[in-house]
Amino acid sequence: MSRAEAKPAALYHRTVVYVLFLILLLPLAGTLLYSLSTSWSATILPDGLTFKWYLQLWSDERFLRAFGQSLLVCFGALALAVVLILPLLFVVHYHFPRLDALMNILILLPFAVPPVVSSVGLLQLYGSGPLPMIGTPWILIGSYFTIALPFMYRAITNNLQAINLRDLMDAAHLLGASTWKAAFLVVLPNLRKGLMVSLFLSFSFLFGEFVFANLLVGTRYETLQVYLNNMKNSSGHFNSALVISYFFFVLVFTWAANRLNKDKT
Amino acid sequence: MSFLSIRGLHKSYGATPIFRNIDCEIGKSEFVTLLGPSGCGKSTLLRCIAGLTDVNGGQILLDGQDLVPLSPQKRGIGMVFQSYALFPNMTVQQNVAFGLRMQKAVGSEMQKRVAEALALVELSDFAERYPSQLSGGQCQRVALARSLVTRPRLLLLDEPLSALDARIRKHLREQIRSIQQELGLTTVFVTHDQEEALTLSDRIFLMNAGRIVQSGDAETLYTAPVDAFAAGFIGNYNLLDADSASRLLARPVHSRVAIRPEAIQLGEAGVIDAEVRGHSLLGNVIRYRVEARGVELVVDVLNRSAADLHASGQRIGLTIDSTAIREVA
Repeated sequence: MSRAEAKPAALYHRTVVYVLFLILLLPLAGTLLYSLSTSWSATILPDGLTFKWYLQLWSDERFLRAFGQSLLVCFGALALAVVLILPLLFVVHYHFPRLDALMNILILLPFAVPPVVSSVGLLQLYGSGPLPMIGTPWILIGSYFTIALPFMYRAITNNLQAINLRDLMDAAHLLGASTWKAAFLVVLPNLRKGLMVSLFLSFSFLFGEFVFANLLVGTRYETLQVYLNNMKNSSGHFNSALVISYFFFVLVFTWAANRLNKDKT
Repeated sequence: MSFLSIRGLHKSYGATPIFRNIDCEIGKSEFVTLLGPSGCGKSTLLRCIAGLTDVNGGQILLDGQDLVPLSPQKRGIGMVFQSYALFPNMTVQQNVAFGLRMQKAVGSEMQKRVAEALALVELSDFAERYPSQLSGGQCQRVALARSLVTRPRLLLLDEPLSALDARIRKHLREQIRSIQQELGLTTVFVTHDQEEALTLSDRIFLMNAGRIVQSGDAETLYTAPVDAFAAGFIGNYNLLDADSASRLLARPVHSRVAIRPEAIQLGEAGVIDAEVRGHSLLGNVIRYRVEARGVELVVDVLNRSAADLHASGQRIGLTIDSTAIREVA
């Protein structure tokens, strides 16, 4: 295609992208402005700008605790996911490839049964009996694991299929490596990318999870989203500061993760 | 005494036999090829020798030692795969050093041997690259260096050239052969490509449906196929049933007959009258389709000049070299 022909098309493409960005950013920009204004009700523009809402938020002990508890539950669930899913994937793909079909059905279940429905079952099952976990962070870690499972399973499976697992393992075995050594030195480093991508995806998803947190645990172990919900009757400026802080944290976290995950080559 | 001897080897997946009662003897420093169509069991046999696939019975003796109870790590065998199987997270240098690292070799010794191996495959300048930065041919040479660096007793090559394009394939083929001869390394090569097998091997084992059909040097396999499968797989033999053969040769024949296409001469006057049906140009050879006495034959003629070309429909005489007519089972 010549340069002259490319121009109108490029302009069109650019416009579409910019408009899309604008639509996505507008509510966020509005929230940001609201969180920074002293008061903003009957005027087009806010009366004045201030940081007081942020200061109030970040000195609120309840908020800090909710933030920390959210982090703890997310990291707990992801740690559990890594410990269980990596060996599972290895076993499925190396020893029992036929199980992959079964796993593909299994990982659809968290999508097929919405959290509102499954939490009713979970409340029944874990409300009493041998494992009374309702109201504790443990039940959240467990349910968050099921949410993270599909993301991680799919991303790492794609990664595994791209590396020709069987031949790599065979080659490593013939060069004298035990199965453990081969898995750690040859397979695991090649799964880093899929693992990281799925971890960050799951993290940002879980960090914003509300339904399970609210229904299963509520205020007994308050997470960030539950805290936000409980604060809905306080000042809108304060809540905006909370939302912006939350977004900013996820943004910084994702950016840092991407930086760390850049290819060495 | 042979260096590698396989005795009565059985392998089946469930009720499906892959091969049974495989016997073969391979001498030290010999380059042998397992040749056969896909699914004939040749790759499985190779994997059994390597220990990557369990056998159901039989013995594999390497230098007098039975390999069957040994794990692949302990067999001292190097192997090159069709998919290269280079470790993507490691540089060329680290890939080649992997086997020595597993043997816990000393740093200086390791460096020296890796450098030697890379020099052998002419890739010394690529030591710091990652496999993703190399071409297919270069990857396969790294894989070769990686399997040679541990000084294996036996080298196994599983269709190492099949994923490469024609020019590289030919070059690497020669390189593999010269390295093998230089090191005097006993080598088993698996391929479905008859040309590769004929040009590379000291000896060829032709396999079909889980058994060894014929073994011998390239010359024997090419000129004296033992049965219809061997004749059909190697070269472009004309395979005639007993009736057609009797008609064509004007004498009673009681078995199938195989005639090599280059053993038939075309000329103005010949023993058998024929008609040209068509031709295709294969470069230095012209391949004619001719019909004689109701039998269709393929005839290869050296492409000397365009003036010699016989047009379709032209009447022509055939002379068949009687020593090239082989009766096969």
